[in-house]
Amino acid sequence: MDTGLILYTAAFGLILIGSAGIVLSTHLVRTIFGIALLEAGANLLLLLATYREGNSAPIIVDGRIPAAMADPVPQALVLTAIVIGVGILALALSLALRVQRAYGTLDLREIRQRLEQDIADEAGIELSSSSDAPQAVASRQEGQA
Amino acid sequence: MNKLALLVALPLITAFLLPVINRASALAGRWSGPLILLITSALGISMWSQLGDNAVAVELGGFRPPLGITLYADQMAILFAVAASLGTLLLWPNGGEDRVRQSTLALILAASGSGLALSGDLFNIYVFYELVAVVSYGLIAAQASSGSYAATIRYLVVSSFGAAMALTGIALVYQATGTLNLAQLAQLAPTQLNNTQGLAAFVLMLIGFGVKAELFPVNTWVPEVYATAPTRISGLLAGVVSKLALLIIVRLLVLVFHQPEALTVMLVLGIMGVVSGELAAWRARDFKRMIAFSSIGQLGIVFIAFAIPGKAGIFAGLAVALHHLVVKPALFLLAERWNGSLSNLAGAAKTSPLAAALFILLALSLIGVPPLPGFWAKLLVLVELSQQAQPLYYLGAFVILAGAALEANYLFRVASRFYHTEKAQTAPAAHRMPELATASLLCAALAGSVFVLSPLAEQIESIAAQAADAAHYIQTVNPETLP
Amino acid sequence: MTPLDHLLLLSALSVVVMLVIGNRQAAGWTATVLYAAQGVALLLMSGLGYGTTAAVESAVSFQVLEQALHWRFDALSWFFALITIGAALLSSWFSAGEWAQTYRLRGGSLRIFHTALALNVFSMLVLLASGDLLSLFIGWELVSWASFLIMALGGAKASRYALRYLSYAFAGAMAVLGGLALVYSLVGSFQFQALKAAAPTMDSASLWLLFTLFGAGFGVKMALLPFHLWQAKAYAETPGPGASFLGAISSRMGLFAIAIVLVQLIGIARLMEMPVPFSFLSARDLLAWIAVFTIIFPTFTALRQHDARRLLAWHGIGQGGYMLLGLLIADDLGSAGGLMHVFNHATYQAMLFMAVVAVIHRTGTSDLNRLGGLVARMPLSFVAMLIGIIGLAGLPPMNGFVSKWLIYRSLILDGSPLLFLGAVIGTLGTILSVYKLIHNTFLGQLRLEHEDIGEAPLSMILPMMILSAVVFITGYFPGLVLDWVAAAQTSIGLPALAHHLGGVATDKGGLDMIWIVSVLLAGFAVGTLVFFSGNRHKRVHQLDNYAGGHFLTAETRYQYSDNFYPGLMHLIGPWYRKSFRWLERGFVSTVDTVSLAMQGLYRPVHPSLYLLAVVVVALSWVISSVAV
Repeated sequence: MDTGLILYTAAFGLILIGSAGIVLSTHLVRTIFGIALLEAGANLLLLLATYREGNSAPIIVDGRIPAAMADPVPQALVLTAIVIGVGILALALSLALRVQRAYGTLDLREIRQRLEQDIADEAGIELSSSSDAPQAVASRQEGQA
Repeated sequence: MNKLALLVALPLITAFLLPVINRASALAGRWSGPLILLITSALGISMWSQLGDNAVAVELGGFRPPLGITLYADQMAILFAVAASLGTLLLWPNGGEDRVRQSTLALILAASGSGLALSGDLFNIYVFYELVAVVSYGLIAAQASSGSYAATIRYLVVSSFGAAMALTGIALVYQATGTLNLAQLAQLAPTQLNNTQGLAAFVLMLIGFGVKAELFPVNTWVPEVYATAPTRISGLLAGVVSKLALLIIVRLLVLVFHQPEALTVMLVLGIMGVVSGELAAWRARDFKRMIAFSSIGQLGIVFIAFAIPGKAGIFAGLAVALHHLVVKPALFLLAERWNGSLSNLAGAAKTSPLAAALFILLALSLIGVPPLPGFWAKLLVLVELSQQAQPLYYLGAFVILAGAALEANYLFRVASRFYHTEKAQTAPAAHRMPELATASLLCAALAGSVFVLSPLAEQIESIAAQAADAAHYIQTVNPETLP
Repeated sequence: MTPLDHLLLLSALSVVVMLVIGNRQAAGWTATVLYAAQGVALLLMSGLGYGTTAAVESAVSFQVLEQALHWRFDALSWFFALITIGAALLSSWFSAGEWAQTYRLRGGSLRIFHTALALNVFSMLVLLASGDLLSLFIGWELVSWASFLIMALGGAKASRYALRYLSYAFAGAMAVLGGLALVYSLVGSFQFQALKAAAPTMDSASLWLLFTLFGAGFGVKMALLPFHLWQAKAYAETPGPGASFLGAISSRMGLFAIAIVLVQLIGIARLMEMPVPFSFLSARDLLAWIAVFTIIFPTFTALRQHDARRLLAWHGIGQGGYMLLGLLIADDLGSAGGLMHVFNHATYQAMLFMAVVAVIHRTGTSDLNRLGGLVARMPLSFVAMLIGIIGLAGLPPMNGFVSKWLIYRSLILDGSPLLFLGAVIGTLGTILSVYKLIHNTFLGQLRLEHEDIGEAPLSMILPMMILSAVVFITGYFPGLVLDWVAAAQTSIGLPALAHHLGGVATDKGGLDMIWIVSVLLAGFAVGTLVFFSGNRHKRVHQLDNYAGGHFLTAETRYQYSDNFYPGLMHLIGPWYRKSFRWLERGFVSTVDTVSLAMQGLYRPVHPSLYLLAVVVVALSWVISSVAV
């Protein structure tokens, strides 16, 4: 199999899985994992930008410059991007922890509902919702309790 | 002109030294941040006045591109770098217990904002963009309320998604051209990027960087974040950070992506931004979300303006963007005390008469009433739009006019409520001196610009002409040709 | 510094002076003096009014964004400015003295009132002086916002109506701005001459778009159908003299703008060449029919009002239709009638509002169902209102008759019998409803609570008497006003009316008011002589009444005036379906619903879904569009 094809499939596949993870999941931590996968895929794609079959590492050995050298620039770029990604992931997880402590849940739907309720409460306006909505009633009771 | 790097380095170094300074002396810790920003802004202004017609490029460390990083300073770049420092200075965070942390973050914001405006390399832009993003997450979450945490994490998710998309776009560009230096890209773009791959890269980068620039439809974070963040940070985000993100997109359009389809995508998204923003603001029931939606609408107008090809589009977009840069932070400063529901604002003119008058001035300028500068900016956009051939531009003009009519309505609904003194059982509290002083300063600048309109317009036009000149950019950076 | 600059500078100075001293008791008198000074400055340019000078340029002109802005006065501007300053002078005279005291007691800020009035005058002068389309728009915006300021002063209810006005006015202003942008894209310049030169050869679609944008935009201020709903309530709730000023001249600014853009620049002849698709009407006919419906519907709506100020405000809307109709006929008679009607209407509308405000000042109410019999208590106000309603109805010997005669004559000569019929129906409605006004206020039975009131104070009586004199004299010698009108006609490119001091003398028909009024006065003189010489009259006290053989006491209501015209109301009542209100509410609720939908758009559970969706859609569009 052509290595390049596998790698490209892997990169786009990671992007796809990551995006699907972010968009489809209802759990905050799974969303963050999706971000991690997405960033991994994007980084891989950046690395693959100048991929050629049979390139050797860009290191000078014994004064001999290899004939076909991989492009070192994307490697530096991707390192930076990975570090940025790690930092953001750490920040995201700590924020998720804060959200969990504040709301008691990591369900994205619940979080959005509670966020709206909080904004409305701070502004002193009534949140408009159907009187039959069970979630609104439950969270308001929770809020009052 | 290596002083250029000082614009980034000074606030950055101070940011990391701040906890140490604060340990030594609390007074120094409180004032060193604003002091450094003042010095940085003064430095930037002096560099701007020395600049003249020719831009300046600095190769950091002496390394030539594509291995080295260049900083490119034309008038527009320095203008936005100064705006970043000055904006952070005017909207310096002053609430909360963790003052040192917030000050550190604000200084890093100023530094990375300047770096974003000045960098001449796509990856450098990406790094500074992520820096700005991370710092803004921290500043929003500094409110320490449950709402702010939730809003921050939601903002983080969509912003990281966007950044990853932008990175994919950068990967596509690198794959096609082998360089990420903007000048080299400008040289190679007509041959290498004038195809589907280039356009796809632009779309990914537009939407990725457009998250910060409040592009439709990735701007759903705007009402939540502006409602829960500290009001000064909301002002900073809406005023300064969004313009920096726009600056990136404009540079890409001018230098790299010249296809008309790129402009069409921006035009369509801008139109939908104006429509959704102004209509959503119509029924807003609290003050902060109302101006958040209005901000979305105004930035939609900026996108429509930048979608006009040529120097004319950059001129028009720059005018509206600069006007918004002054007005929105002032509105958020006034929102410090008016952050409740709109119906609680009855009788606010009794407790804060100056603030009510300032609000009316800002509202008039936002809507576009002559002789205030907002009118001239809108007129410029409309005149340029009417010169275009594509019917989509006429739709843009219609949408801008209809949006202005809606804006007049909801803004003056609020303004007249200020003066309803009969219903004032509990009028909101009076504004504090710092907010009022800064807001008055911004309004004075707005009103004062009426008297210097012609020279100001010429100045902005020359800035736009210089920014739209891709050949000048290439010549200034003068990269060696690629092997 | 030309005379125009002196006038504008003086006007700006009055705004500043009012801002500083507006709260003092002497503010009203100071304002009157300042307006008189502005009037003198205007009269120094009276060459414009008599056609001896072509135009007075201002020394001030700017260049912004490559557009040249300049200001100038021509005969049309001078005519409108005369009316504006005259209305402001008399309104501020009215407001000095007792009215100011009661206004302050009621909690109003006199400073803001006087500043708003001065600002209105200044912005109107700036609008009237516009020398190109961009300065026209700037003046237009200034006038709209100044009117909003003075309308919003009257309290919570007034500010609600003022906001409604703002919605309409700003939407109209945006339509005008759209028209401006369209002109720029077609012609490349904002100068009047450029549009005038391009109009004959412009294509039909662009011209229709311009016609709609400018017509609707300026028509909102004029309260043309269907944009008329805001005016009556907003003008009615404006504080006293402000209402008389606004009712006199404010909505005529729309007519001024239409006269410039549609009549002078595009030209009625060009409008007549533009057929409405699928009909036999031209654009001019369409606008003429809108004007006729603007005459009929608001006039008959006025019939149903029982608040005197609302009744007058509705009439103001209706009379605006006459002015537009006259202007659209565009021959010498009709346009003279339309322009003269602006002057005439200003005089008696201001006077009628002043009379009503004087009644409110003394009795505390303007509700027609709670007034009556004030003729003996307030005789001078009665005379003022009597002269006013004769003028409004368009009957000799007052000046309203001349302008209406001119309009009727030109409609018949133009060959539009249906339009003529519409105008006459409007006059019928006017006569009916103004009689209701004066009867319910001054005639009929005096109420117990009003037995002790006195005449209105001198500061209110004198302006009303001055206006009555003006109405009568310009009715007797209409040539005085027709001089100015003829000069205005020449300046906008219409044929000038051949006239003399007593009226009109053209080969299409003539009118000699001197003869008519003299015959009328002679008849009155004979009647008066007969009445007083026979010595068979006896003065009776107003409350000395008896019926059915015994005396009536004042507490008994023996005269009911609330259900006026029951037969007519029974006939036409079912036709009042409030359709325009329904349209307005429907539009507003559509915007509300869409707005709620947009707010719902901004609360997604997965914001990233939007990002993914837009990336996918944009990428697929990009790939497909480039591949093709």
